[in-house]
Amino acid sequence: MTGPAAFRAWGRRQGGKAMALADHTLRPRGVLGLDLSDPTLQAWLMAAGVVALVFILAGFAPWLTKLPDTFVVPLNDWFNDAMTWFVGVAKPVFRAISWAVEFPMSWLQGLLHWLPWPAVFIGVAAIAYRAGGRRLVLFSLAAMLYMLVTGYWAPSMNTLALVGVSVPVSLAIGFFMGLLAFKSRAAERIIQPTLDLMQTVPTFAYLIPILLLFGLGPVVGLIASAIYAAPPMVRNTILGLQRVPPEIIESGRMSGCTSRQVLWWVQVPSAVPTLMIGVNQTVMAALSMVIIAAVIGSFADIGWELLNTLRKAEFGRSLLAGVCIVLIAMVLDRISRGFAERQAGVRDHGPKGIARYRGAALVLAAMAVAVVLATFIEPLHEYPRAWEFVPKEPLDAIVSFVNTTFPATLEWIKVKALFFFLLPIQKGFVAIAKPTSWGFEVTPLVQVIYAVVVAGLAYGASRIGGWKGALAVILFGGVYFIGMLNVPWPVFFLVVGLLAYQAAGRGIALMALAFMAFMLLSGVWHQTMVSIYLCGAAVIVSNLIGCAVGTWAALDDRVSRVVGPIVDLLQTMPAFVYLIPVIMFFQVGDLPALLAIISYAIAPAIRYTEHGIRNVRPDAVEAAQAIGCTSRQILFQVKLPLAVPEIMLGVNQVIMFALAMLTVSALVGTKELGQEVYRALTSADPGRGAIAGLSMAFIAIVADRIVQAWAAQRKKALGL
Amino acid sequence: MFDLARRASLFAATAFALALAAPQGPALADVPESSDPIKLAVLEWTGQHITTYIAGQVLERMGYTVEYVTAGSFPSANGTADGDLSATLELWNNNLGDYWPQLLAEGKAEDIGDVGLDAREGWIYPKYVEASCPGLPAWDAFLGCAELFATPETLPNGRFLEYPADWGDRATRLIVENSLAFESVPAGSEGALIAELKSAIEKQQPLVMMFWAPHWVLSTVEYGWVDIPADLVEKYSMNKPHTIKTAWPGLKDKWPAAYKLLKALKITNEIQQPLMDLVDNQGQDVREVTAKWLDENEAVWRAWVDQAMM
Repeated sequence: MTGPAAFRAWGRRQGGKAMALADHTLRPRGVLGLDLSDPTLQAWLMAAGVVALVFILAGFAPWLTKLPDTFVVPLNDWFNDAMTWFVGVAKPVFRAISWAVEFPMSWLQGLLHWLPWPAVFIGVAAIAYRAGGRRLVLFSLAAMLYMLVTGYWAPSMNTLALVGVSVPVSLAIGFFMGLLAFKSRAAERIIQPTLDLMQTVPTFAYLIPILLLFGLGPVVGLIASAIYAAPPMVRNTILGLQRVPPEIIESGRMSGCTSRQVLWWVQVPSAVPTLMIGVNQTVMAALSMVIIAAVIGSFADIGWELLNTLRKAEFGRSLLAGVCIVLIAMVLDRISRGFAERQAGVRDHGPKGIARYRGAALVLAAMAVAVVLATFIEPLHEYPRAWEFVPKEPLDAIVSFVNTTFPATLEWIKVKALFFFLLPIQKGFVAIAKPTSWGFEVTPLVQVIYAVVVAGLAYGASRIGGWKGALAVILFGGVYFIGMLNVPWPVFFLVVGLLAYQAAGRGIALMALAFMAFMLLSGVWHQTMVSIYLCGAAVIVSNLIGCAVGTWAALDDRVSRVVGPIVDLLQTMPAFVYLIPVIMFFQVGDLPALLAIISYAIAPAIRYTEHGIRNVRPDAVEAAQAIGCTSRQILFQVKLPLAVPEIMLGVNQVIMFALAMLTVSALVGTKELGQEVYRALTSADPGRGAIAGLSMAFIAIVADRIVQAWAAQRKKALGL
Repeated sequence: MFDLARRASLFAATAFALALAAPQGPALADVPESSDPIKLAVLEWTGQHITTYIAGQVLERMGYTVEYVTAGSFPSANGTADGDLSATLELWNNNLGDYWPQLLAEGKAEDIGDVGLDAREGWIYPKYVEASCPGLPAWDAFLGCAELFATPETLPNGRFLEYPADWGDRATRLIVENSLAFESVPAGSEGALIAELKSAIEKQQPLVMMFWAPHWVLSTVEYGWVDIPADLVEKYSMNKPHTIKTAWPGLKDKWPAAYKLLKALKITNEIQQPLMDLVDNQGQDVREVTAKWLDENEAVWRAWVDQAMM
């Protein structure tokens, strides 16, 4: 952005006059300062009329609020019949694949278990040194020592074997899918939406088909994680190949390469830095699937240990096991990122030339010595149980302490959160406000006051964000009043359709309508609404807290240094771990579910906000300083508005993460789509699982398209 | 602990038994019928681990190769039907879901008899609740105390913690169909049930929930069962869950003796509960605990082996 553009953007935030001037258009102003000739506003005013009509008609036609079951299409049964047929036909083929893939897996598992722990220490340390130097070596050694001392060595090695085989499979699939999409437009048109589904359909939803096809075994977990972890590789492959400068390809052609040679000798090598970023993301995605793969079982890995502790509600142990996963993730992340940066030529810690092979030989020799020594010295072969140190009691004691010392405070938090936030959004202020909760009945007078308050807030919002700000307040006020579960489906269709149309165009709007029709007609509308209510509430809280923390971290380096590792931890620690204390504090219900979702979904809000504010173009800030803005004005009127597109991308991620957590929150008894997926799993009803899973994916895709389009619009408006 | 006379008679009984007297003794002539590993499902709870490792270790001492495969509930059902698992021991009919019964009915998995546990199911409350609701465990007294169990969300009704939704909703139906002044809240998972119980006891708060015995947590808390009237118990089948052993239908042809052994296997509360305590409350390793049990209770398991070799 150039100086004047930044200044103009800054000026736009100055309210009334400056805004109108910066827009270059002085439109005639209608009622309440609204520009009634604006077609987007006209559409909303018409929509308001339709909504009012629907509410009036709903009194006579109850099917507007709840579609009768007779309308539900038996998609479920069709899917199951198709599945049964397919499994019957294709089972032998898939079983053969399963048999073939099991070899490398059990071989690697066998190797990691056969190697005495000192040998693994040496091997990993050597790799860490090549990737990141001495500091990474120390960190990896400390991480492995932790696994050893807490007694999680064997399950950790199993996890490593699982990841060690699933990552190459994901990478190979990802690379060739990416290549195909790069080469052929037609293929890309199929691959792009497939990627969206691979990343948004919860894994639990396709576990049943995978199990039926591949049979029980470690391969099931492997396939599941390969499906989930491949998309980042595909995306980075496409991106990397597209970014190869044409001059390089030209020079390849000129030196007489065939197109195949250009691809393999010129384009692919030039794309390596981007490919390595894909490798890193794939490794992280594969690790986040560890816990999911454990639900199937058949591989006694760290995820399985964690599930067992969860079943016993042992917080201390589950945290200790969870930390193993976090450490494995951090070590693999640093190592793969180290190699990625080295490929990009940023730095190189390894020796060059022949010295390199000498180093490798030395490491192998050291490992061999360790193997030999371990045959004589038992503790080197297997770490003795007596030397284990499992500090689970103090961890449990902390939870008990909070639970028994502050019961009244915990109860207060729970009651307030339920009555003033969650329950109104779910069932509506009308149904919830009682003398026992809010201190009064909802009389007609109260309803009038409610309307006046919303109108006042809407007016306030319109001063900051124009009529769109007012619209947001009115929509939220409406939902808060009648409750998400009582919104008639035609109203929901209308509002989402209109939002999608105005933000992202006709195509996306039609897609959104088709998706909503799918959810309505397949009979999961109620669960969909519960999911949206729960995720919506979590997204609101995550963004409020996340943006505040992110802003603070962006302004203060010390805060940033504390927040950074916490965000890493929140993202890699399996959320199952938090469920136990949260249930102990707040009892089973929507509040623990909400907190579990927030714990995971808040990370991107913090990260993107901090990044967005820190990366505001310095010339815009300097311009503001030059005209004498205070640091407060610079933050609120320059930095934050300019960071909005980036923050919106964070919001987008928050929504994706929140949806992904629904299958976890089902473990505290919520009645949303995640619960449907679980019930499908225990009743072996793949059709039901597929419908619920697809519905979750559809919500994610629509939300993604709308937010992305909106962020792009803002970006364009800011001239970025 | 063991019956000496029975033990002596067993020692003299057959040549097979003598051959087995030394742990890990030489394999019997006919056993194993196949050297392929027998795969036993390891599900998610300690009682099942104990039952499975006892069965597996007896099989190992008979000369079989045994592989232990961790599995979730649905995967174990599918695996047992396909033969990826040779047997899944200790299934509880109260939280089976729909798939297992369907497979058993179609003959894709075989029911090979009761585990032998004396199980119980019903509504439990921590003992201290009796102080604030004196008539407990009587049914009428319990109904009269509904408000004691109320929380802000359920007021004026009492809060009842129900099994996870996928385990069935018998208690909820009992509450709704008889218009009890309770509102049932599904727990979502076994961990959630236990976390609530632990938390309530820490805070000395009232709690009533659906639960079953034997369960390891019950040896760590003081609790009582609500006296549900017999006709309701009957109508909502809330009396005795039973625990079954299941096998892959091909087991009996491939490893006949192993099949008979698993059929003969009987794990009672007296066997399981002390071992569960060692594992869950004293942190011992389940394989070591069961191996030790096998060493100390040869008479018990050799009786199963005898039945298997007949």
